[in-house]
Amino acid sequence: MNWNRNKSVALSRVCLIVFAAMLLCLDAGAYWFSRWFFSAEGSRWVFLMITVYSASIFAWICLYMLWRLTGNIRKGEVFVRENVTYLRAVSWCCAAVGVICLASVLYYLSFAFVAIAAGFMSLIVRIVKNVFDEAIGMKSELDLTV
Amino acid sequence: MEILVNLDVMMARRKISSNELAERVGITPANLSILKTGKAKAIRFSTLMALCRELRCQPGDILEYKEN
Repeated sequence: MNWNRNKSVALSRVCLIVFAAMLLCLDAGAYWFSRWFFSAEGSRWVFLMITVYSASIFAWICLYMLWRLTGNIRKGEVFVRENVTYLRAVSWCCAAVGVICLASVLYYLSFAFVAIAAGFMSLIVRIVKNVFDEAIGMKSELDLTV
Repeated sequence: MEILVNLDVMMARRKISSNELAERVGITPANLSILKTGKAKAIRFSTLMALCRELRCQPGDILEYKEN
């Protein structure tokens, strides 16, 4: 198979579509999923629904930012300020999901693992954002070297 | 503190146009314009050497250090 950069970006965009579809299914079925997960006992399923929907807002923002980012990469605009903004937004979204999951530990302990994963992901994206920021500075200097 | 580029002065003395100088030096007119307008952040020794060769001058004739 002749693999190249364009196909790799296309694969990333397909994965984003798949994740968006999964998120849409989760949003649509959150009510039934929550009731099934906690066997409709007490009010814990209501809290799970709140967690799902509040985290879903940030997940949608995150997916949209990644969509825009991959769109820019496809156009060949990699080291531009716009992409740093997208990565910063993704990082904050991951952090927000982490906080939501941390709060959800109060009714379901296993959310602690998701919170840690989201926090770590936020850190990774933040470092990538810092690398992009530095690379943009280097590129502008190189562009203005005659 | 800044470095001033007096390229336009030397070009006027040698009566050479931007396009002609850019062609002789081997850089694009856009890059020469960046250099002339003082937007450049760095200049390669090879470019400076070619400019000095074509303008028959010293680097100090093109670049000037100015203290505020």
